[in-house]
Amino acid sequence: MNAIILSAIWAVIMMLGSFMVKRKGNFRHIAAFGLLVLFVANIADTYGYSLFNFNNHGFLQFTRFGYLFNSIAIFSSLIYVLITGKEISRYGNHTAEYFALIFFVMCGVSMLAFYNNLLTLFLGIEIMTIPLYILTGSDKRNMKSNEAALKYFLMGSFSTGIMLMGIVFSYGGTGTFSLDVSRAGIPNLYNHVASFLEIVGLLLLLVSLAFKVSAAPFHFWTPDVYDGAPSVFTSFMATIVKAAGFIAFIKLCLVRMTATSAAIDWKMIFAIIIIATLLVGNITAVFQQSVKRMLAYSSIAQAGFMLFSLFSVNDFAKEGILLYSAAYSLATIGIFAVLVKMKDYTFEGYNGLAKKQPLLAATNTVFLLSLAGIPLTAGFFAKYYMLAAVVKTGSYLWLVIVAVLFAAVSVYYYFRVIQAMYFKDGNAETEAITPSFKAGLLLVAALIILIGVYPGIILNWLYF
Amino acid sequence: MNILNILIDTVSSPGSTSDYLPIAIQLIFAAGFVATMIALSHWIGPKRNTSDKLENFTSGIETHGDARQPMAIKYFLVAILFVLFDVEVIFFYPYAVNFKELGWSGFFEIILFVAFFLIGFIYIIKSGALKWED
Amino acid sequence: MNSIVSLVPLFPLLGFLINGLFRKSLSKTAAGIIGSGAVLLSFIISVYLFSDIKGNEGYIVNLFDFINVASFKISFAFQVDQLSVLFLLIITGIGFLIHVYSTAYMKEEVPADFARYFAYLNLFVFSMLLLVLGANYVIMFIGWEGVGLCSYLLIGYWFSNTDYNYAAKKAFIMNRIGDLGFLLAIFWILGKLGTATYSEVFDLRNTLSETDITAITLLLFVGACGKSAQIPLYTWLPDAMAGPTPVSALIHAATMVTAGVYMIARSNVLYAMSEVSSDVVAVVGLATAILAGTIALYQNDIKKVLAYSTVSQLGFMFLALGVGAYTTGVFHVMTHAFFKALMFLGAGSVIHAMGGEQDITKMGGLYKKLPKTTWTFVIGVLAISGFPFTSGFISKDEILISVFEKSQVLYWFAVFAAVLTAAYMFRLMWLVFFGGFRGTHEQEHHLHESPAAMTIPLIILAILALVGGFVQLPEAFGGKEYFNEFLSPVVPAMSHEGSSVATTEYYMLTGTVIGLAVIYFLTRKKFAVSMFEGVYTGVKKFLADKWYIDELYDAFIVNPLNAFAGFLKSVVERSGIDGLVNGVGRFVNYSSRQVRLLQSGQVGSYILFMVLSITVFFLVFWNQDNIAHFLTNIF
Repeated sequence: MNAIILSAIWAVIMMLGSFMVKRKGNFRHIAAFGLLVLFVANIADTYGYSLFNFNNHGFLQFTRFGYLFNSIAIFSSLIYVLITGKEISRYGNHTAEYFALIFFVMCGVSMLAFYNNLLTLFLGIEIMTIPLYILTGSDKRNMKSNEAALKYFLMGSFSTGIMLMGIVFSYGGTGTFSLDVSRAGIPNLYNHVASFLEIVGLLLLLVSLAFKVSAAPFHFWTPDVYDGAPSVFTSFMATIVKAAGFIAFIKLCLVRMTATSAAIDWKMIFAIIIIATLLVGNITAVFQQSVKRMLAYSSIAQAGFMLFSLFSVNDFAKEGILLYSAAYSLATIGIFAVLVKMKDYTFEGYNGLAKKQPLLAATNTVFLLSLAGIPLTAGFFAKYYMLAAVVKTGSYLWLVIVAVLFAAVSVYYYFRVIQAMYFKDGNAETEAITPSFKAGLLLVAALIILIGVYPGIILNWLYF
Repeated sequence: MNILNILIDTVSSPGSTSDYLPIAIQLIFAAGFVATMIALSHWIGPKRNTSDKLENFTSGIETHGDARQPMAIKYFLVAILFVLFDVEVIFFYPYAVNFKELGWSGFFEIILFVAFFLIGFIYIIKSGALKWED
Repeated sequence: MNSIVSLVPLFPLLGFLINGLFRKSLSKTAAGIIGSGAVLLSFIISVYLFSDIKGNEGYIVNLFDFINVASFKISFAFQVDQLSVLFLLIITGIGFLIHVYSTAYMKEEVPADFARYFAYLNLFVFSMLLLVLGANYVIMFIGWEGVGLCSYLLIGYWFSNTDYNYAAKKAFIMNRIGDLGFLLAIFWILGKLGTATYSEVFDLRNTLSETDITAITLLLFVGACGKSAQIPLYTWLPDAMAGPTPVSALIHAATMVTAGVYMIARSNVLYAMSEVSSDVVAVVGLATAILAGTIALYQNDIKKVLAYSTVSQLGFMFLALGVGAYTTGVFHVMTHAFFKALMFLGAGSVIHAMGGEQDITKMGGLYKKLPKTTWTFVIGVLAISGFPFTSGFISKDEILISVFEKSQVLYWFAVFAAVLTAAYMFRLMWLVFFGGFRGTHEQEHHLHESPAAMTIPLIILAILALVGGFVQLPEAFGGKEYFNEFLSPVVPAMSHEGSSVATTEYYMLTGTVIGLAVIYFLTRKKFAVSMFEGVYTGVKKFLADKWYIDELYDAFIVNPLNAFAGFLKSVVERSGIDGLVNGVGRFVNYSSRQVRLLQSGQVGSYILFMVLSITVFFLVFWNQDNIAHFLTNIF
């Protein structure tokens, strides 16, 4: 509860701050402080110290899982603001508003971590995405940014419509918006398990959530939007927001899809989505010339891996998605932090970075290795848990093989960046690099390796 | 034939989903009616296209210029803000109806709601969105 | 308080990090102090642990969960008991002396290389401590690989010399073969028992079938063969002498090569259950002892002689383990560490004095110029030859008695091996230190006693080599077997029962004295300087050329493998694999270009695709049973 309310309040503070604080540079400090407060408040909440206690009538459900994810999301945002916060002020005069929007997004993220009702799911998704439409278009003078915002908005509203329709159908089938449904008294059962309407509703919900997490074949918005949006905001959208989408998704799967799994083979549908996502993400990323666009496709490919947790809804999947969120968010934030400092976003722009900025190149290598899932980085265990979860289910084992093959493909395009940085001659131009920025990158790289060596550091929180 | 399950479901047994039957029928009927009418008028109606007929009707005055004249962006801003605050009022209707039953807790919640909007309003004024001249 | 044990490996690790990271900016003095100091601190803590563990139960210190997947758990834990503490003392104690010695021996190096040397040495000590401290086979394996790596790095320390690199590679590859056996044993244990922790494995040992036990113990022994240089994997050790001499003393004599002994002593309850494996260990050990002993007789490189002697002594240790005298094997590790480290360091001192010369045919009469080195070396020779009441006498004597009780045949072979030991050692002693000098005039002029940093470790080790055995003096000579008693909670001692033991001891004592006297005069006569011959013929040549084992390996293993690899490279890889891989690459590239076209940038088409996909989803959903049926029919 703390996180939801405090993030909204802090958003308002940032909003009012836009005309109360004179120095533009101060906003990111206020924002970082706010995220720190959120983080502490959320941890306190985890151990039962809630500032706000009131009956939410089952609209929200506070579980260890939600708290832990929320902590990871807030922590990642904190890191994000710390190392790229400076770049946010680059776009226009509305720095404070941008931060306010980020806090509104956090409010939506927290809501998704705790939702227990389709209405709160809808609210969370909308609170989370509407600010993103604005952030996408925040570079007002850039046509690409405007185009991306409009595209995102149009397609986002389309998927919102589908989601609402899904919720309505589901309501029609069960008579409740709550996630937990007692199906005892419901007539017209399909395959003796669930109402036919509910299943149609769930299928539509699945489609709209697949859209939000950019799973193929509903991914079309992703490359255009990620490419068009200002890089700093792409970083935010591709990491924390996407992870939140997955948390919302897995919760729906854990409750609703599991309950209706006897009526419909969700596994098959997810298998189709996973294959399509891995295929589109990895194959298309291979041929990109711009690192930013490659990252957009790679984020689709990574989503393919995260989808495994929805496929195999078990304890491993739950642990795995948390680990994946942390690993993926940290690495991607790091890569984007380096990216925004580059003058040229193409692969050629990275040529010879290792000579000019050895630390940037080294940490960037760690991030890329983590995304590729090389052992001793966080990404390895994240992928490992995902695949182990599938193995645990005992069916569709060929999916694991396919996934490993695609992971091998992904190594190709991640290593292209490393190759450019280390083995090609060139004059990679960067903006001015401050020591604190370097320190931030080092911290992120250290965290990635720490998680890669000892994943228990995150997962143990789930249990004590 | 699985697609008809949805109808069989609703027809065969009483219960909550069968309540949707009239709606479903109405939906199909409405859509069908509209489609039929449009199609019929298109096919049956006589067509005589002359240049006069294809001209925009402007009460007899000759057209000149483009109808899509640029308008001050402020106009849209004010209009949208108006809609926003207008919609806010809609929430007062259900509250007014249930004023007694909701008691003090309801009162505080609506105060919170209004306060949130008020902050938004202050923000709008302070950031100069309502200033016509700048 | 228990977790103080984690400090023991921590200090060398810190030393490694400091020396390794700052090697360019550290002065030689600083690097030496950091390197030696780290090991000294570990030694002090080991001494504390030793006094603490005496007569107490061992305990396990859990640091963190290393691997934790579902029900499968391997923790990063240290086992502190009598056996591991004893090895801690040997490693850190002798390690410290050798570090000190190195500060003088490596003085000529440039500072960065000097610090690199100490960084490697510290890393080695860290890995070795990990090896003996680990509470399960996995941690032991980590240390095991670590020491292998350090050994590789240190053998190839002078990496600008191609031969040295070749020797380093050879050591590494031989070790890898052994490691494979060890790894398979670990997998076997994990597969059958689901745990690798010693205590749990030993508790569950009765659930294993006889085949399992035999397979596991034999595979473990393969690992031990690699690391401890036993037949057939021993050939790397003599070549490993390419490294700096202190390294040979520390790694290739005192500590790393005894890791195999440690492993078997640690797993003694498993070996006790398998007759077959124990017999294999004993026979291989004895064969190695004799083979290496005969080769050592006609080697002319001072370090090679010592290397083959090490191989031979390791054979003795395995012989002891094989006949079930585990404590005796461990005891010989300790005494051997004393006198072999002593002799290697002495050899280092000699080489130092000779300006890098290692050929003993070019030495002679050094006792005049290097008195301290000479007399400490002589003590080493006496100890290894089993001169009564030196440490080597007591340990080797006990091995022989244990073997005697097991089998008379093995006993007489073992006695033969012991005679060989004395023979090649006396030969070495005569040729190096006595008689007239045979080197160049320049070398003679250069001869000088080594600095104190080198002689003091020699003296300390000499004292240990002399009296170190008294902790295990047999009762026949009025002693008490403190050593066996100390180890008894972990490793059961072989009891020598009956009055015959005392009699045997006295026979052995007499036999040894007579034998040594004979050898003394024989070697003196045989290898007296005037009798020295430079070129060997016949059997001597066969022995001097090491039984042509290396050539045998080259002909039967290395060359066929190379040919096979060449075939794979030129035929299979170029046309088969490369074609396949490039084909896949081309296919991915092609499909990437095609899939990319879907991304048209038009919102309308995107939404059309989405709607189409949703339709397909619904179709799939309504026909899922048919599709599932269809799929199962296909696959």
